[in-house]
Amino acid sequence: MQTLLKILLRYSNFLVFIALEVAAFLLISMNNAYPRSSILSTANDFVAWQHAQISEINSYFGLKHQNEQLAAENAALRNQISSMESTENDAPIRYENAKVVQMTTDRLHNYLTINRGAKDGIQSKQGVRNEDGAVGIVRTVGRNYSVVQPLINTHTNLSCRFAKNGYIGTLQWDGKDSRFALLTDVAAHMVVNQGDTIITSGLSAAFPEGIPVGIVENSTLKEGDSYYTIRVRLHTNFKRLKYVEVIQNAHQNELEELTDGMD
Amino acid sequence: MEWTKQFVRYVIVMILQVLLFDQLQLWGACHPYIYVLCLLMMPITLPHSASMIIGAAAGLVMDVFCNSLGVHMAACILLMFIRPYLIGAIVNDKDRLNEQISSRAIGTEALIKYVVIGVLIHHLTVFSLAAWSFSHIWFVLLETLVSSIVTILIIIGYNVMSYR
Repeated sequence: MQTLLKILLRYSNFLVFIALEVAAFLLISMNNAYPRSSILSTANDFVAWQHAQISEINSYFGLKHQNEQLAAENAALRNQISSMESTENDAPIRYENAKVVQMTTDRLHNYLTINRGAKDGIQSKQGVRNEDGAVGIVRTVGRNYSVVQPLINTHTNLSCRFAKNGYIGTLQWDGKDSRFALLTDVAAHMVVNQGDTIITSGLSAAFPEGIPVGIVENSTLKEGDSYYTIRVRLHTNFKRLKYVEVIQNAHQNELEELTDGMD
Repeated sequence: MEWTKQFVRYVIVMILQVLLFDQLQLWGACHPYIYVLCLLMMPITLPHSASMIIGAAAGLVMDVFCNSLGVHMAACILLMFIRPYLIGAIVNDKDRLNEQISSRAIGTEALIKYVVIGVLIHHLTVFSLAAWSFSHIWFVLLETLVSSIVTILIIIGYNVMSYR
């Protein structure tokens, strides 16, 4: 017993080191799973508030561009209203406006923080778009702020389809350029042209079908490959992203319950 | 008194880190983590276990700001674990290591060696753990190199200014 204690004391520093590192790696593995704790992320009220102050200061430097963007968005919304009035809308979808208070675009795992949280009805896995197209998926929800995992995060997989014929593929990001993403799993027998439009497939609960994602920049098919490598130019300009809309689908929970445990 | 000074320095460095250095979008690979300055410059008289716990706490705070839970924590714990061995290997004259790590106490050359190796270990760990795969290895190495250069220059600049 005494020898054991002596050994423990002798190596106590090393044991503390191992214990702390184990705790850190547990946190890292927790971080890769849903749902994440909102306190230990930028959805934390204090941290997000600080970022909101910084973005408030920065926003004065882009007012002209912002105005143009808002005007364009207004126009697009008016068009939407008029088209909605004429057709029955069967999807019970609401859009919640949000401002981006913090964002990175030059890392492998980029995130953005928005100033809407649980009190505004935001839930994990809701889709996020702006007037140009899909932005990402809500990851962590705090009371007043949420963290969104954008398309330009190497963890993100988004089910997409070709607008022209409905073929499905998976959109992923290679971590290089925030303007482009890769569309994978598109079988070699399909004809892919430059300029083909890519939209969301509607197969995940986050996005309804038909939200624009990007257009095909180029595609390569190596000898013997059965799948294309397609570079997609994203509609969303992540470097200038200021305002987004969170897509709140009233049927989301039901859709998720049905598909839970299937993958 | 010494610990109040350490804490005030940490708060100022963290404000600079979050307000300035986290906002940098230079070359897509420059993410200097200057907060390691506080860990590297902590008095060497601090017990080894205590220094690792402080490192863990500082890393966790940084993780909250980066949405990278655990990554900075693991890197800081590793840095604080290696620190005494690193100093032992670099500094020959242990008598000069009374309290502070400074160029006056351990010599300019030893200080630069200590900062360079310490920062490289920390940054390489952070970027490797954040990438969490070998497919981005070249980007990780580039990110480590570019970011470490900036961090090292800032820490050495800080030492030059405070001990002149």
